[in-house]
Amino acid sequence: MIKACGWALLMFALAACATLPPPAPPAPPAPPAAPSSVPALAAAIDAAAKRSDHEPDSKVRGELAAQADRDAQACLALEPQAAACLYGRGIALGLEARARPTRAGELLGKMLDSLAQAESADPAYDEAGPARVRALVLVRAPGWPLGPGDPEAGLAAARRAVELRPLYPPNLLALADALAKSGDVGGARENYARARAAALAQPASADREEWLQSADQGLQHR
Amino acid sequence: MSTLLAASLATLVFCAPGYPGAAGDAQPLVDRFASAAATAAGWPAGSLAAVYDPTEDGGLAKLGGSEAVLAFIPFPFFVEHAAQLHLTPLVQADMADIGPQQRWSLVAKSGRVTDAQSMAGFTILSVAGYAPGFVRHSALAGWALPADVKIEATGQVLSALRRVAAGESVAVLLDQTAAAALPTLPFAADLKVVTQSPELPVAVVAVVAGRVTAARAHSLQTALLAMGRGSGGADSLAPLRLRGFVPPKLPSASAPP
Repeated sequence: MIKACGWALLMFALAACATLPPPAPPAPPAPPAAPSSVPALAAAIDAAAKRSDHEPDSKVRGELAAQADRDAQACLALEPQAAACLYGRGIALGLEARARPTRAGELLGKMLDSLAQAESADPAYDEAGPARVRALVLVRAPGWPLGPGDPEAGLAAARRAVELRPLYPPNLLALADALAKSGDVGGARENYARARAAALAQPASADREEWLQSADQGLQHR
Repeated sequence: MSTLLAASLATLVFCAPGYPGAAGDAQPLVDRFASAAATAAGWPAGSLAAVYDPTEDGGLAKLGGSEAVLAFIPFPFFVEHAAQLHLTPLVQADMADIGPQQRWSLVAKSGRVTDAQSMAGFTILSVAGYAPGFVRHSALAGWALPADVKIEATGQVLSALRRVAAGESVAVLLDQTAAAALPTLPFAADLKVVTQSPELPVAVVAVVAGRVTAARAHSLQTALLAMGRGSGGADSLAPLRLRGFVPPKLPSASAPP
């Protein structure tokens, strides 16, 4: 009953899990040209993900998803095996899943495939982003048979991300979430605390504030 | 005045333990359904609120409140708590993908379970595991389980099936949707459906503790049975994967007290 409600779980913050490398240098004041290099296209997808995360209008979120998809396709046309492009396609598919909940199951499956390819190409890309984002999707999406969610596989992916980049706060947050989902309350608390300490060791930034907030929320609820 | 106040606070409690979906996600959907149902029944606008709780304990707490007049619950929940909550069924849900009834399937490792007695020492995991009475006496009524079989709730069916395939002393009771998807699993060849339940209701809308007058219950029942027939209420049904409602047809063992 109410299985459709599970798909609303997809409304998670992609921007929080997909922190691509910093954007290219600011565009000149004149209307910016369409991005044409792999780094610029990857940065454009990242920007779309961050905007979508804070965008209340579903129509605008749909447009951002479409633009991210075009950028991902352009990126893959330039370098089909580049981790940045495969990762970007995964993020773009996540945005599309969010914009089209009725197709979310199929789109999230493709997203996981793309992220797996990105992880094979360069597991360290975006601070172990492919494994981290895979973990978040596997932990938060509805499980079999309704969706691609698989908490066990999510926990394994989160552990891989932490193994590669143990001091990156989003990796620790993903591991804490995965442990919480698997019922390991103590492990979850420990990693929320580690994430908090790792965030405090970073320079002040909006990202750091979000990481601290997530860690604090995790600690409060466990 | 007190009648008016009570009417304004009337709440339909949705509760689906074991299924995905958080209260916040579901709230707009159940709000829309309650509004459409009340309108169709000719109840005053705004007289029926709705609330969703994904947990058994949370659902029980909400249903225990005096404002809870109606429950929309899976059949296992009804079997487990109908007597305690004094639930009187109004209608059965007719689900878009499986209809008003479903069979539950008990899945074990191929060759491991030959009959009920061979399950001594086993644990049965299920989304309906919070309702052991339903598991033993409704879903597996014709499969006399040994007394030492444990019944546990799980929302992580895939993990449970992996434990079955790995040879642990575990079996999984699947609803019809999950059972139909078994062949999609890469380790499906290691699994076997060892028995099935008779056809059982999927979900029930029930009056809680007689808190709706007979006249209002009748008008709501009539309205719900009409929803989904023609154009009536389809917009509020589809997001809940409902096709409509049918008259209650409960197995005799789960008849209301």
